Amino acid sequence: MFLPLHRWIWHNPERCARKLFSFAETEADGGRDLVRAAELTQDPTLRRLFIVHAADEDRHAQLFRGRGTVLRRTLPANTSALFQLNWVSPGERGLDDLRVHGETDASLLAFLHLSEKAAAGHFATYVDALKDDPLTSQVFREVLKDETFHMNYTLAQLTRIAPQRHRTFLWKARAGRLWKAYLRLMSAIAGVMGTVMLTLQYFILLPPFAFFAKRAERREPRGWIEIPQDRGHSLTSQY
Amino acid sequence: MKILGISAHYHDAAAALLVDGLPVAAVQEERLSRRKNDAAFPMAAIEWCLERGGIEPDDLDAVVFYERPMLKFDRILTCALRAFPHSWRSFPHAMKNTLGEKLWIRGIISSQLGVPRQKVLFTGHHHSHAAASFLTAPVREAAILTADGVGEWAAMTVGQGTREAGHTAISLFREIRFPHSLGMLYSTFTAYLGFPVNEGEYKVMGLASYGRPTMADAVRKIVPRTQDGGFRLDLGYFDFHTTAKRSFSNKFVDLFGPPRDPLDPIDLSTPEGQRFADCAASVQRVLEDILVETARALHDETGLPDLCLGGGVALNGVANHRILQESGFERIFVPPAPGDAGCALGAALYADRIHFGQPDRDFPDHPFWGPVVEAGALASLAREDRLPVEELDVPSLIETVAQDLAQGRIVGWMDGALELGPRALGHRSILAAPHTVEMRDRLNRDIKHREEFRPFAPVVAAEDADRYFELPPGGKRLARFMSGVFPVRQEWREKLAAITHVDGTARVQVLDQGMAPRLYALLKAYGRLSGIPILLNTSFNLAGEPIVNRSVEGYLTFRRCGIDVLVAGEARVTKRVMEKTA
Repeated sequence: MFLPLHRWIWHNPERCARKLFSFAETEADGGRDLVRAAELTQDPTLRRLFIVHAADEDRHAQLFRGRGTVLRRTLPANTSALFQLNWVSPGERGLDDLRVHGETDASLLAFLHLSEKAAAGHFATYVDALKDDPLTSQVFREVLKDETFHMNYTLAQLTRIAPQRHRTFLWKARAGRLWKAYLRLMSAIAGVMGTVMLTLQYFILLPPFAFFAKRAERREPRGWIEIPQDRGHSLTSQY
Repeated sequence: MKILGISAHYHDAAAALLVDGLPVAAVQEERLSRRKNDAAFPMAAIEWCLERGGIEPDDLDAVVFYERPMLKFDRILTCALRAFPHSWRSFPHAMKNTLGEKLWIRGIISSQLGVPRQKVLFTGHHHSHAAASFLTAPVREAAILTADGVGEWAAMTVGQGTREAGHTAISLFREIRFPHSLGMLYSTFTAYLGFPVNEGEYKVMGLASYGRPTMADAVRKIVPRTQDGGFRLDLGYFDFHTTAKRSFSNKFVDLFGPPRDPLDPIDLSTPEGQRFADCAASVQRVLEDILVETARALHDETGLPDLCLGGGVALNGVANHRILQESGFERIFVPPAPGDAGCALGAALYADRIHFGQPDRDFPDHPFWGPVVEAGALASLAREDRLPVEELDVPSLIETVAQDLAQGRIVGWMDGALELGPRALGHRSILAAPHTVEMRDRLNRDIKHREEFRPFAPVVAAEDADRYFELPPGGKRLARFMSGVFPVRQEWREKLAAITHVDGTARVQVLDQGMAPRLYALLKAYGRLSGIPILLNTSFNLAGEPIVNRSVEGYLTFRRCGIDVLVAGEARVTKRVMEKTA
């Protein structure tokens, strides 16, 4: 149904490159999560499979990054500013982060199975949408092969370790994904509302304070500033 | 007294536990969560520290946070006001970021740990740095210099510390305030050169050796000196104070040329690659000049022979070497974790010695305060995968591993308790023979996946160090925690090609037998086999991952890369097919 939309998105090399870099990041993150899962599981078979899976994700990241880099080189020089990844704001975590340490093997496998299934569906669509760009399409084709393996092994292992309850775990994982999608949406809406409110406050309330702050800054001495010797004495104060 | 120190929320969260004035446990959150530079509230680190100390949160006399959140908020808000109206984009982000969690630390600590609010204390950010540096150093009196990106308001401080029976004091005399910050200057160039901020500063330092400081005058133009010996940043060249998106302005680009695209590799054979190297060399030179002059003035003022350095800028080993040689100080002490992670320990020490007035104690002079590796866990993991495992007595293990290294094998080495701080100092290291460029390239290609211009560090026993490295007086102390970069002696450079940087230097670790006895024994055994008792020592992790902690993490890292042999405690694991590859 969304094929025309995807064709439109992927037709533009700049958007295409940007999406490939974003996929590369996602795959690399996924690889790290799988390594963490391998570190935490007590099941040797799962440990081996998670490591293979992590290596696949790393390879996918390289494929996406490689193709993105090639596409980016075809763009006019002035678009490169859009790719500046020059500031990292550390310490932030998204709501959709997979908290591997909080999952059991079964719940993790269910989550992985659904994620891989969803990704396989998306990538199959992209293969169709990229008929005019066989090289990028080939990247997705290669990744898709692995996704099929990932989908199958996660389901097979889930059935092995929870033969009676694997469907329950899958339903729980589906519900979890829906809940996370809901949280993501609400969080995005709250974020936009917060930004609008704070921006309004910025322009309505702050100008007089900004005036005084700028005036105070001009009076501030340059270079070294003496530290009052009583500063730091009270550890109960947050100021 | 039982005091828990915490650092969190900006980079490298950590927790540290002091019992009766001595450290019992300290660990960075990233080593437990396995997220590199994890800045989240360090719940796992706190739980581990309390468990290690065998105490409940109720037993704590105080929980000390490493900075003052309200004062920090004051700085963020004031900077937004000063930059009005250019800060309109960053203001909502900054407010949401701060008001969400970072401002309510007292409540968060109180609720997460279940301790009364009055037990939660706050030290100044730079007081924490100063305490982490001075109160862990084996000195009674020293000058103190701290420098980083920014704490609350201060970005650089100078002062003095005194430890006497019954009286410990840290007095910070002066500060340079944000946005005028050497850390931000260096981070701006880090971003300009296409490296991730708070992580890529090492790369700038490594790249600097390939360039010449041809743009030093341009850098000085954007960091003019003040009449009192300080400095300021010409804010027209920077954007970090107005936006979180970009740290340098268009004027900066006009002065230094187009920034490097982070996705393009640096090719030093091209003029553009050389321009970036020259740029790195220039900012490095200016940073060194300012630090040396500041330290020299502090030496003249205090007349003391010892200097304690703290803050993230103290990780700049090239600058530390110059300070040692040119400032007049005889010895320089840099703790193993001079950055924010070490502030957890610094905050706890400050509260213990100064706030509560507890008696001074000599601090154990090593960085090993984290979880201890289990040899048995490694052996059982390897057996599950049917890999060859040996469990040897220590002398046999040392001899066998020395032979591995002499045969060109790369060894993952896990021994005892995990280090606190960014450097692998012999308990979670990847070790290799230091002699050939091929070994360096193999490590880069098969394990670390990092830029070719970044050097690897050597480790050498203290009594052998002078033979191979040009260490000035005080150099061994600075090299104890790999805090200085020193020249490799000319006659050894060819035989130490894997650890000799392009400018003939190395960030050497000088090892005392008492600090890491097994690694020391391994160095000696390797020396007997190869004739040169030096090993290449790099941190035991892969790109984008924190240093390994437990056996399983070391084991899975070993499985995923080109490490040939893994050692944890007395267990030695090899891959099925091992060939002499270097």
